[in-house]
Amino acid sequence: MSISEPFLWVSVCAIFYAAAVMFWSRVAALRNSNGTTWFSAGHELPSWVGALLMAGAGVSGWFILGGTQEITKHGFSLPGILQAGVMLCLPGVLFFKRLWYVGQRLRVSSQAELFRVYYRSEFLVFATTFVALMFAVGFSGLQLRFVSEMLATLGGDIVSSQIIGFLIVLLLFGYVVIGGMRAIGFVGAVQAVLLLAAIVFIAGYALYVSGGIEALVKGLQAKAGDPASAVLFEVSGVLQFSAGLGRDNFYGHGGTAVMSLGLALAFMGFQTSPLAAKIVLSMKSADGIAASQTWLQAAFIGGLIVAGIVLIGAAGFVNSEWAITGLLSMMQLQSAWFAAWALIAVVAGIQLLAGLGLLVASENLVRVIYKPYFQGTLDRKATVLLTRICVGLLALIALLMQSLAPVTLSAFAGLALPLSIQLFTPLLGITWFRWITRPAAICGVGFGMAAVMLTEPFGYQVLSYVGLELPWGRWPWTVHSAAWGAFFNILSVLVISAITNRTAHREEAIDIQNFLVANFGLQTNSRVLKPIAWSAALAWLFFAIGPGLVFGNFAFGSNSETEAEGGIWVFGIPSMWAWSILFWMLGVVLVWLLAYRMEMANMTLIDVSAYEPKPRLRKNQSDKERERIRFSLGFVASVGSIIVLLAWSFG
Amino acid sequence: MRDDRKLLVFCIWSVLGFLGMGFILEGLSRDSYLVGLLGVCTIVAAFIGHIIVNYLNKQGFEPGETALGLGLFGLICLLFVVGWIVSETSQTDYYIAITLFAVLSIGMIAYLSSRYGMRQAFSRFHIKPTSDEGNEK
Repeated sequence: MSISEPFLWVSVCAIFYAAAVMFWSRVAALRNSNGTTWFSAGHELPSWVGALLMAGAGVSGWFILGGTQEITKHGFSLPGILQAGVMLCLPGVLFFKRLWYVGQRLRVSSQAELFRVYYRSEFLVFATTFVALMFAVGFSGLQLRFVSEMLATLGGDIVSSQIIGFLIVLLLFGYVVIGGMRAIGFVGAVQAVLLLAAIVFIAGYALYVSGGIEALVKGLQAKAGDPASAVLFEVSGVLQFSAGLGRDNFYGHGGTAVMSLGLALAFMGFQTSPLAAKIVLSMKSADGIAASQTWLQAAFIGGLIVAGIVLIGAAGFVNSEWAITGLLSMMQLQSAWFAAWALIAVVAGIQLLAGLGLLVASENLVRVIYKPYFQGTLDRKATVLLTRICVGLLALIALLMQSLAPVTLSAFAGLALPLSIQLFTPLLGITWFRWITRPAAICGVGFGMAAVMLTEPFGYQVLSYVGLELPWGRWPWTVHSAAWGAFFNILSVLVISAITNRTAHREEAIDIQNFLVANFGLQTNSRVLKPIAWSAALAWLFFAIGPGLVFGNFAFGSNSETEAEGGIWVFGIPSMWAWSILFWMLGVVLVWLLAYRMEMANMTLIDVSAYEPKPRLRKNQSDKERERIRFSLGFVASVGSIIVLLAWSFG
Repeated sequence: MRDDRKLLVFCIWSVLGFLGMGFILEGLSRDSYLVGLLGVCTIVAAFIGHIIVNYLNKQGFEPGETALGLGLFGLICLLFVVGWIVSETSQTDYYIAITLFAVLSIGMIAYLSSRYGMRQAFSRFHIKPTSDEGNEK
């Protein structure tokens, strides 16, 4: 087979894909008709489109590229990855239904606007925007870089990875700018279906290459029999008091039960992010939320991860040539058309998340920050135009960072999910716990984000740059940065809510609280189930992703005795894998219980009238706006000078 | 609603259509009838999915879809005939192609006759000019 054949098939598939994307962005642009529905698709995205969008963006390219590599490198020592399907949907079950109704009531279309109206907090607005930027530039940018390099290598380096990256970003920019949120919805549905089908297909291929499940299990048994890799079949205890990656050694490895808990918390970060809120607030109704979270996310995506992603990763674990890149290379040699289709499907999955991230970050920058601060008179058309320009600039930054600053890109990517999960406390305050006060929500997010930064490479590299050496490395005590953040976040919220006035809410917040209490009270049978649901949720969290994971090391067989022929794995697969499958199934039941029986996500038929704020006179802000522009320019110049000075001083 | 239906149909064909085509190509290149048959079955599954979506939306195939389908069917026939003339075609390749054409043809007849009845199914192709059009001419 000549080298040009795979390249030819990739080109053919890419052209078809690009044509499909542009077709749907054109349809979206025609439906938008003018700028008014560009930001949120006129709040009329069908529920099934929203569900697919959420599923596709949640999985993105991370699981097929990063998740499989984690299993290839670390085996079954991080079972938090295996429960990602259930973890991805838990915040959805908890928040989405109420968030949609609150959005309808307040007539807002983004998480930042919601925080501004409910908490009157500009800090939360900026924090949300920062998270969106991390997703748009860092998280998606890193995936785009990885897939561009992969495409270039598999195409025989006929086209460089930079040009491939440019073409992918160009297409992305094109459809986001043309069709806005509606195009992201329409194209995203196709992208999500392609991505999920490709994962199923690649998993099947991994099984075929490794010679079937029996051969794969034999390979795993051989690994379990080797003392060097045997430790990778289990978690290394509940917690290790190590100074963290890059600073200290671990006993066995760093994959403790608490590390898995933190990793699982990070996965939840997508659904608390402004990207997920954007999807929810753009949907026509909330009637599909329970089904999408239970059956699509927990059952299907969860099954796909615990079976498909694990199969792909395990193949690479058994034989390093069968890692994801190797698998695709082999597929390309055997059938170039399938490899091309699978690669384009992975690109589609990454574009789905990147497109959504770009739109949300740009909307926040222009509509939520720039307009109210600097140019209140900006009309709708000009706002859309500025946002489109911003999309282009951010896409360009992501593209340039892929080549010029890969280390920073990687540091940003590592921040996106752990930072995003810190937004769960203000969301809890809006949707469930009215006792969370404004200062508590702000401090919680602030302390949570600071803890994340200080336990991730980004934070300690910045501090190291100015001469402050932290005594710990990444993820000290084998606790993931998301968990460190969540700990300080919750602690701050509890303490500050206790010492601040819990009744001092703004008018809008009080209206929302009354609206939720009036319409979402539990039915009698659900009230009976409440203690059962809480107990089940806590037990599941403890055993599936918490300290109880140590039981998974030996519950379904011993790993250390598998050297003997046949081994003693009860179900013929590693004990931790069987444990994860069991708790995935129980997780689906738990999600169903919460979503339907506890009425957390199922449809509630109520008529939502818009909140009418008291009429207020709008003051002329032009002087203040001019002053702010002057201040901002001065601030940017000062910060730039300080950075140059620091670089000059410290090298 | 119309966009919903189109999008669903598009999703179905972007996955099952391409997989079906891929398996047929795989069957032809590996000279394996079973793999080719898997491709034919996948294409049939895509058609079934399309018909279910049509049923849920209470409508039939759109004129554009019919034209695209018939056009692709003709193109595949042409490619097969040209391939047969130009290069050597194995017995398996021949069987795979015949299976595909047979299944698609029988499927189309079955669909039309079940949806419109035998007589009206024929009328879908044999469209007489209306009396008004005749008078105008």
